[in-house]
Order: sequence, then structure tokens, then C-alpha cells
Amino acid sequence: MRWLNKTGFMAAAAAALCAVLPGQASAQDKASVGVLRFVSSGGLFLAVEKGYFKDEGIDIQLKFFEAAQPIAVAVVSGDTTFGVTAFTGGFFNLAGNGALKVIAAQAKEAKGFEGNALLASNAAFEKGLNSFEKLSGKTLGVTQVGSSFHYQLGQIASAKKFDIKSVDIKPLQSLPNMAAALKSNQIDAIIIAPHLAKPLITSGEAKLVGYMSEIADYQFGGLFTSTNLIDSKRAMVQRFVRAYQKGQGDYNKSFATKDASGKVVHTADSDKDAALIGKYVYPTDTPEQAIPKVKASAFFADPQARLDIADIKTQIAWMKEQKLVDASVNADAIIDKSFIQGHLNDK
Amino acid sequence: MRDTATMPAPAAAPTPVVFRGGLFTPATSRIAGALALFGLIGLWQGASSLGWISPIFAPSPARVANALIGMAQSGELQDHIMASLARLFGGYALGMTGGVLVGLMIGLFGVFRSAGIAVVSAFFPIPKIALLPLFILWFGIGEGSKVATIAFGTFFPTVVATYGAVDNVDRSLVRMGRAFGLSTLAIITKIILPGSLPGIISGLKIASSIGIVLLIAAEMIGANQGVGALVLSAGNLMQTDQLLAGVVMLSVLGLTIGGFIGAIEKRLLVWR
Repeated sequence: MRWLNKTGFMAAAAAALCAVLPGQASAQDKASVGVLRFVSSGGLFLAVEKGYFKDEGIDIQLKFFEAAQPIAVAVVSGDTTFGVTAFTGGFFNLAGNGALKVIAAQAKEAKGFEGNALLASNAAFEKGLNSFEKLSGKTLGVTQVGSSFHYQLGQIASAKKFDIKSVDIKPLQSLPNMAAALKSNQIDAIIIAPHLAKPLITSGEAKLVGYMSEIADYQFGGLFTSTNLIDSKRAMVQRFVRAYQKGQGDYNKSFATKDASGKVVHTADSDKDAALIGKYVYPTDTPEQAIPKVKASAFFADPQARLDIADIKTQIAWMKEQKLVDASVNADAIIDKSFIQGHLNDK
Repeated sequence: MRDTATMPAPAAAPTPVVFRGGLFTPATSRIAGALALFGLIGLWQGASSLGWISPIFAPSPARVANALIGMAQSGELQDHIMASLARLFGGYALGMTGGVLVGLMIGLFGVFRSAGIAVVSAFFPIPKIALLPLFILWFGIGEGSKVATIAFGTFFPTVVATYGAVDNVDRSLVRMGRAFGLSTLAIITKIILPGSLPGIISGLKIASSIGIVLLIAAEMIGANQGVGALVLSAGNLMQTDQLLAGVVMLSVLGLTIGGFIGAIEKRLLVWR
């Protein structure tokens, strides 16, 4: 009998989950975090390196992924306890089913900080793709449909008032594929993270059209966990968030402090923090090689990891409009505001 | 004729002969097959409706059907199917025609045989998916690379099936043809081709399934339309109902193409 086996399996899975998540808070809780090797996750790396999690009695293990989407799946399936990455259509769909909750912010696009870049292939640049509005009618490589890059294309289209349908979107599944397709002029443009964009620009393999922060602010990533964990180990999640906030605070101080003229200023601490982040983002580089790269690719991150609530609602509304997210998904149900006080733009 | 019925019988009435030739030809019943499928779907639906299967892990058949109907009404489904069919038939046309021709050459002419078998054996085991990035460089990110992947994937199994079928044609028939003074051309068209046709067609059946598997791989890179692209983007968006709707379409596509080849087989092999 198939269905008996299935219920049996579900019961076993539930039992296993309970075993993994004991009710009482022990001295050293174990937690794993799914994350990409991106500078935008730097706050998390700082919190790990500086022992903030250990101070909160959490034994943390990082699990590295190649794309944002699988992290959300891993948190739902219980393979990792937390996730720190960009929001995607798939993420919102999973969270909309009630399985995931966003509890804190990762990085964001903010005016005055470079952020993700729109790059043109050399051939397309020569043919005149040198500003955002000229993207209309071109081919744009993205990782996946519904990815944060796809959303940023939507932001360009609405800011520059062209129909998003006029852009031919090519899902290429991975960042290396995107870079390769752009270099060989198979596609006209890509939107890509700065630590990948800059080497392409300096080597002359692609041309910079502009930085996405010029277009619009964008709360593109967050810290999330499973609804089950919040229900069963709220105190541990609270301690995790505290440690995470300290890391985000350091990240903000090192990479988002501005002087009176509005220029980002780096201190000795910035170099130290960049070296720590570099260990994760550029594991094969020496600190001397990694420090300038990390500093040049840093995003803005809120010092208290507060989420831009209104912006997340805008994202979900746009994704619904594009039929990337199911109409039943409710933005309020996805965000758990109880761990951090005073989230931004929370009307 | 010597069977039991004509043997001089003893005084008792002759016993009727029971047909005993039905060994290993199990009778198939379409109804039982359909019942098994529908029963399985019914169980799945029941388990979903009773809440035993979480919608996060598997959507109910009703939701899958809804997704299918929704996409059919918006015309999206038809676009995906047409895009996939165009790629499939383009790939089949190139891969299968080429495969049958090369297979016949290998089967018929010694010159081609050694060289051909060596080349085919070397290329057949390469997963064509591994070559997709190269195909994109050679044929572009558009339709070219997708058709090429399917064409290459279907070409090699067709070649192998075709020369195998030619090899299996009864040599005594060829010798008899020779003895009756048939020309080489006549032997090929009247004996070898009809004799190898069953083998070639079963090869085409296998190649057509391989083509559908490769379609998904080919549509992974840079495709907005097509059933494979639908399955992939639904997977990326965690829209599991649409994902399964796409999988159902792939299965239907496979069955239709299989049925189509079966119909051709029946027509061409009417002499069997």
C-alpha cells in the first residue's frame, strides 16, 4: 500500500526532525547556514570569524552553495538550519507555503554604493548598448527565471519606461555560463555581482553600462530559517540573530562608513574585515590579493540587519504580476519581524 | 501430415487437441493498464486530500491538472509544445535520416565499415549533454545548438541499430537472390532493406526517446519556451504543480511520438 508507506515515511521524517531539534536550549547548539561565497554575505562571515556565534553558544557550520535557490530548498528539507542569500521567485513560493520565514536582512542595493553591475558584451557595446534604456530589444543572460537579476531587469524596465517583454531573457543556469556567454558575444548583456563584474571589466572582456544602485534601492537578500525551527527553538534563533547582527554591524562600519563628501572611507578595520571575508569569497587568494577585491565589491548592509519591509512587498507584488510567484503568496506571512525591532519602511 | 488426430485411434473417441503454442505471449489488456494508472493517481489524490502528503513536497493531481488547464487556456502550453516539437523534429530529421544513411553504408560496404564502426563506437558513449557548451559556441545560443544536441544524440543509436539490422538479414536469402540472378541493387532494395526494416524501426523508437531526454538538457540553456524550459523554470520557481504538469506533457509527447512510429511500423511491416 503506497500511501501507508508514505505516511510512515512522513512520520519517520517528523520524528527525525524532532530528534535533531531538541526542545531545551543546550550549552552549545549546533546550527548550519547555507550561503554563497559572495561579498554580500560578508556580515555572516565576520560573525563566524570573530566568534560571535560561539559567544552566543552556537556551534556554527557553513555550507556553501552555487546558487541561491538550492539554499531555500535545503532549509525547507532540513539540510541546513539557516540560509543567508538573495530572494528569488522560488524562495517566495516556498516561503508562501509557510515553510520559511525571513528574519533579518542581508545586503541591499542603496544609492551611493555600487552594487550589482549591468555589463554589455564588447560587440553589443560597440553597437551602442552604453546606457540602461538601450537594453530594450537586447538579449540579457540571467541565472534563472525569477532570480534577483531577473528582478533587477524589471527595475530597469520600470525606471527607464520600456516593456520588459522587449528584452529577450536567456536563463543560463550558472554565473560562469553567464560570463562565458557574454565574453563570446552570444548574449548582449548580463546583470552580475560586482566581485564577478570587475574582473571582466578590467580584463576588457566586457564593458560596464552602469551600477544597479543608480536605478533603485533593493533589499535583495535576507537571513531566513524554517518555520519549524522558530516554533521549536525560538531562543536559539534569537541568539543566532544577535550574533548575526553584530557581524552585519561590523560589515557596515568597515564598508559603508562615509565621510562628509559622501565617499566611502576605509579604515584599518576595513582591511582586517576584508581579509576575513576574503578567506571565504576568494579561498585561493592571499589576503593581499583578496583585500582590495573585497573592498571594491562590498554592498551596503544595514548595521542592525533590519529589513526594508516595503521593498520586499514591492518585490513580491512584481513577481506576482510577472506570474513568477503564486497569487496566494502573502508577504506578511513570509516575514517574521519579532526577532529585530524597528524594521525599515514598515507601514 | 502427421498429428495425433490422423493417427490410427484406438476404440475411444479421438481427444481434441489443445492449443499449447501460447507460451510466453502474455495477453495485454488496455483496461487493466489504464486502471493501474488511474488507481495510482487516485491514491495520490486521496493522500493529498487527506493531508498525508504536504503540498510543499508534492502537489495533488488536481493542482497539476489545474496548472495544465490554466496554461492551456492562456495559450502558454501550446507555445511550449510547438517550440519543443520544432526542435525535436528538426533534430530527428537530421539525426535519424543521417543515422539510417550512415548505418546502411556501414552495413553494406566494407570500406565504410571499419572506419565507420570505429568512429561511431568512439562517439556513441559521449554524453551529448557534456558537449552542449561547445554546441553553443559552434551553433549559437538559439535554436542551432538545441537542434544539434538532439541530432547528435539520435544519430549514433540510429547508426548502430541500422547496421545491426542489416547484419541480421538472413544471408541465405541474399545467396538465393544471387542464385536467381538478381542485380546488387535489386538485392538491396528487395531483400536487405525490407529485411532490416524491423530492426531499423526499433532503433528509431529508442532514438526518439533519447531525443526527448536530450530536449530537456538542450532547453536548459538559454530557452524561454519549450516543455523542457517550462519544467526547468517551474523547478527554479518551486512551482511544483507546473513542474509536474510539464513532466506530464513530456510523457504525453513521448507516448505520441512512440505511437506515431508504431503506426508507421504497422504500415511498412504489413508483410509480417
